[in-house]
Amino acid sequence: MTNIETFLQHVTPAWMRPDSEDDIVISTRIRLARNFAHQAFPRKQNEESAKATSEKIASILQPKHFAYFTMEQLTPLQRLVLVEKHMISPLLAKRKFGSVLLQQDETISVMVNEEDHLRIQSLQPGLRLKEAYDAAAAIDELLEQQIDYAYDEQFGYLTACPTNTGTGLRASVMLHLPALTLTNEMKQLIQTMPRLGMVVRGIYGEGSENLGNMYQVSNQMTLGKSEADILADLQAVTEKIIAREKEAREQLLYRAATALEDRIFRSLGTLRYARTVSSEEAATCLSNVRLGINLGYIEDVAVDTINTCMMLIQRGFLQQYAGSTLHPEQRDTARAKLLREHLIERHTENNETNGEKGDDSYDV
Amino acid sequence: MICENCQQREAAIVVTQVNNGHQLKKHLCHECAANIHPFHVEQQHDTLHDMLSTWFGTPTWQKEKQPTKKQTVCASCHTTFEQFLQDGKFGCSDCYDAFRDHLPQLLKRLHGGTEHIGKMPNAVSEKAALKKRIELLRQTMRTAVEEERFEDAAKLRDEARALEAQLAGGETS
Repeated sequence: MTNIETFLQHVTPAWMRPDSEDDIVISTRIRLARNFAHQAFPRKQNEESAKATSEKIASILQPKHFAYFTMEQLTPLQRLVLVEKHMISPLLAKRKFGSVLLQQDETISVMVNEEDHLRIQSLQPGLRLKEAYDAAAAIDELLEQQIDYAYDEQFGYLTACPTNTGTGLRASVMLHLPALTLTNEMKQLIQTMPRLGMVVRGIYGEGSENLGNMYQVSNQMTLGKSEADILADLQAVTEKIIAREKEAREQLLYRAATALEDRIFRSLGTLRYARTVSSEEAATCLSNVRLGINLGYIEDVAVDTINTCMMLIQRGFLQQYAGSTLHPEQRDTARAKLLREHLIERHTENNETNGEKGDDSYDV
Repeated sequence: MICENCQQREAAIVVTQVNNGHQLKKHLCHECAANIHPFHVEQQHDTLHDMLSTWFGTPTWQKEKQPTKKQTVCASCHTTFEQFLQDGKFGCSDCYDAFRDHLPQLLKRLHGGTEHIGKMPNAVSEKAALKKRIELLRQTMRTAVEEERFEDAAKLRDEARALEAQLAGGETS
């Protein structure tokens, strides 16, 4: 069985690794909500039946090489790191009888006894709604062979919250939209989305600010619309947002190239040389540097490094790295140190290899 | 009418209590009625409104109205429809059955739709396919009867019955 440490040490999960030239969509997430028929939902469930649910799911998925962890056996810090990696939800971390089954490559996690008995989550890098959905549906079909799901001919899959009733499907894409934020177009976009049956939020869930210009767009409707239509509509809306963001970037370059370039390199400077950095400042600077890489201003930093840093600047990861609990001020210092290590070391490494290449070509 | 005390069993007895000259009528089931001591004054107030209404008295027409609103209760987890509206969450999958009549209106507001379209568990889709086949057999049977091909009709009837048995078997298991 896989140790929890393997999941915690590993900073950037597979779903965060850049796979395409498309630098606006960071990742795709699919979530299916399912419940056992005729059983109280987790909020009304007693300990015995909650544990039986966990064990039943574990007995099906463990042979398929899923690692099984109950919330009880994890420390608060371990749970926090899993939340920061988006492997479990903040709600599951708080559930006493919650548990999670993680696939080795971290693209699938099955949460047990969250708001519903089952939350099948599938994560993919970039815009890959179909792939992510198919992976989740495969697990769904595997489970339904041995579980009697709560399903109604009229209402579809029955869930604890009526906002998920029907398909139980929540499809979402994480988008990096610095130009639309800068030009103040996001507010308008956020307001028009509900009319399309969709929502835009900050990445840290409901009510969270758009930390680092990251947004999550997801479907709101789950009843009266098929899975295929939900995915197709989200795909279409996402493509439109991408086009708008690209337009806004071009306009920024046309109107205020120097100001933009200045902002990007100041951010890189902060990340490389600052001695204390708050999580908000780090997120903003990382967003600017990411934009700098996308626009070709910065060539010696990889997008992958930015993704790693985005994970590492979070409270749980910092403390795991430090190996102890940290006060907010200590965190800001530790954060600055980690960012320096990641951005300067890579920088000099790249310079050295470039130098060697230059030497080689000179020799030849 | 459902018992006003436990909100579960059918009310069978009307208990009249007199508090400070104020008459209080309660519709109760046998169990709950037996638990009420003749001199016991009930002081359970669910909400501020309930408390004030027992202090100052409420017009009888309002009192009659309230219990009917509370009547819908899920038999499996005892979640009342009011609780559901307050929490915004169901207690178990059987709540959907208990509140079925009220749900389309609510779900329409949330989703725009009221009927599930899309993926269903394999077992359910097999059942749906079976139902369709039975319906089809029935139709051909009726035309066979109309055309006075009674032997064919009898065969079709037997086939439909066999499928129905299969359907019923699947439902119980």
